[in-house]
Amino acid sequence: MSKMNEITIEKIDDYRWRIPKECRSDMRVDGIIYADEKLMEHIQQEQAALQVANVATLPGIVRASLAMPDIHWGYGFCIGGVAAMDIEAGGVISPGGVGYDINCGVRLLRTDLTEGDVRDKLEGLVNQLFRDIPCGVGVGGPYKFTDDDLKKICLHGARYVVEKGLANEEDLEVTEAGGCLPGADPDAVSKHAYQRGRDQCGTLGAGNHFIEVQVVEEVFDKSAADVMELSLGTICVMIHSGSRGFGYQICDDAIKMMRQVPEKFGISLPDRQLVCAPVNSQEGQQYLGAMRSAANYAWANRQLLAQLARQAFEHFFKSSSESLGIRQVYDVAHNIARIETHRVDGKERRLCVHRKGATRAFGPITDQSTEDHRKGIPRKYHQIGQPVLIPGSMGTASYVLIGTQRAMEETFGSTCHGAGRVMSRKEAIRHAAGRSIDKELAAIGIFARARGRTGLAEEQPAAYKDVHDVVDVVDSAGISRKVARLRPLCVVKG
Amino acid sequence: MTKHWETFEHTADLGLQGWADTLAELFEAMGEALSRQICNSPIEQRKTVEIRVNSTDIETLLVDFLTEILNLFNFERFLTGRVRIKEIHDNSLRAELAGESYDENRHELGEEVKAVTYHQLKVAREGDKWVARVILDI
Repeated sequence: MSKMNEITIEKIDDYRWRIPKECRSDMRVDGIIYADEKLMEHIQQEQAALQVANVATLPGIVRASLAMPDIHWGYGFCIGGVAAMDIEAGGVISPGGVGYDINCGVRLLRTDLTEGDVRDKLEGLVNQLFRDIPCGVGVGGPYKFTDDDLKKICLHGARYVVEKGLANEEDLEVTEAGGCLPGADPDAVSKHAYQRGRDQCGTLGAGNHFIEVQVVEEVFDKSAADVMELSLGTICVMIHSGSRGFGYQICDDAIKMMRQVPEKFGISLPDRQLVCAPVNSQEGQQYLGAMRSAANYAWANRQLLAQLARQAFEHFFKSSSESLGIRQVYDVAHNIARIETHRVDGKERRLCVHRKGATRAFGPITDQSTEDHRKGIPRKYHQIGQPVLIPGSMGTASYVLIGTQRAMEETFGSTCHGAGRVMSRKEAIRHAAGRSIDKELAAIGIFARARGRTGLAEEQPAAYKDVHDVVDVVDSAGISRKVARLRPLCVVKG
Repeated sequence: MTKHWETFEHTADLGLQGWADTLAELFEAMGEALSRQICNSPIEQRKTVEIRVNSTDIETLLVDFLTEILNLFNFERFLTGRVRIKEIHDNSLRAELAGESYDENRHELGEEVKAVTYHQLKVAREGDKWVARVILDI
C-alpha cells in the first residue's frame, strides 16, 4: 500500500490496483488501475492516479473509474482511462473524457504478400508511401470538401467516402460502428471546425500518427488469427490517425461551451479540465452531436488514408489491390464516448462509456450478450471476439488482440490502446541529440520517413513504455487476449 | 527586460510560463511564447491585426487570448511576431499583433499545437511580479 498526495493505492492482485473511494470524500466509486509492479512504479511518479480518483467523483459513474496499464497523465482524465456514466441516473458526458483528437484510432489492412516479397523493396515502398500519403503539420490532402460535403461526412462517416466511390464497401463491415455513429449533429459543429476540417480529411497529421508496413512475426492464437487472415510472415499496413483539426476544434469549442455548466447543475469539480454536462441536457446533447460528427469525420479520414495506401501498393507492385489480397482486418477508435448498454450488478443499464486512450474490446457473442454487444461486432468475429489494434511506438512491435467476456464484466468491454508515453517530447529530442534515429532504425531493418525535423526524435522508441509490458498486463488480467505481434518494416510519419 | 517566458516539460505536452512586471507585459510574453512554438523562424512585422477578447475571468482570458493567436494561424495562416497589449481588464483585452502570412519557403513550423488547455492554468500576482502558466496540447 502506498500513499500519493491524498489518495491510497492498494494491490488487489498481480495486475489490479485499487484506489478505495473511502480515501476521499468526493469519490463516488473506487478507482481501479490495471498494471504490474513495474508499470505501477512509473504510474506513481505521475499524477495520473490522482486523475483516476478525480474522475471517480463525476455524477453517474458506475462500477469504477478505470485505468489501463498504458495510463499516463492527460487533461482532466488520464490517457488510458475508461469511465461509464449511467444516463438515467444523471450521468455526465465530458469532452475531456474523450480528448482533443476525437476518434484517434487505428486501422489494419492485411495483404497476401509475405516478408520475402518485400524484403528487398522496402526503401522504394517507404518512399512511395511517403510521396502518396499527405502528412505533417499544416499539410493538406488531395481531397477538398465543401462545407456541404463535410456535413455529409459528419452524418455518414466512412460510408460517405464509399458512396463517393473513393473506398471499399467491405471495409465498413469491419469498422467499429460501421464507420458511422448515428445521431451526429452537423449543426452543433462550429464554423471554425469546418474551416479547420476542410482540407484535412485524408491527411495523416503529425505527432504520434503514422502509417506503417508491418510483418506478422508471432502468432499467439492461431484460430483467431486465421479468422483475421493473419499468419506468420503476412505483410500488413497499419494506419494511426484521427479527426485532425476538425476534432481538436470541436473539443476546444465544447470545453468553452461547458465552462459554466457544472455550476448550473450543481456539480463541483476537482479540476476545471473535467468540465461536463449531464448526457440528458441541452449542453450534453450538443457536445454528443458534435463529438459524433468528429468521430465520423475520423472514420472517413482513415478510410481515405487506407485508399491512398492501397493505391500506393497498387502502383508500387504494379498489381491490383484485389490480386495483392489487401483486405481490412478492423478499424477501432481509441478516443471516443459511446452510448452502450452494459450489464451492471445484473441489470442492463444505458451508459455513456468514455474511452480516452482506451480501446473497445467486446468479447465473443454468447447467449447472454446484449443487443449492443451483438450488433457491435462484425459477424465474422462473433465467435472470437472483436479485434483490438494496439500500435507500438515507432520502431517497436504492434499487437492484435481480441476482446474477452471478462472485459465485458469488468471494463465495459475495454482495454489498453498503446505503449503510453514516458518521456516528454523535449526530453526525447534531447535524448536523440547527436544521434540519427532514422539510421538507427535502418540498422535494425526499419525504413522511416518523417516530414518534420523533430518527428522521428520525438517519437523514438525510448520515449514510450514497453508495449510488450502493457499488452502482457491486459492479457494476463484477462481483459483481452493476444492474437499476433507485428514488427514494423516501413514507417511514415508527420 | 521586464517580461520573460520559458517552456517547461509535461509528459505528452508542452507548458509555457511567463513573468512580468505588469499584467499587460505578462500577456505579451505569453502570446509571444505561444507564437514561437507555432513557428520558430524569424517573423517579419509586415502587417498588424487588432483583436478584442472577452472572457469570464483573468485565467480564461489568457486561454481565450492565446486561442485567438492560434486561430489566426489555423484559419488565416497569420504568424504573430510581436504582441502589444493596448488595454487589459479582468475579463477583457484589446491587443495589436504584428506579423505576417505563413510562407513555406521562409517559415519552418514547430509543433502542431492542438489546443490551449485549462489544466494547471494560472495567472497570479506573486510578490512584485505577475506570473502565468498554461499547458498546450501538442
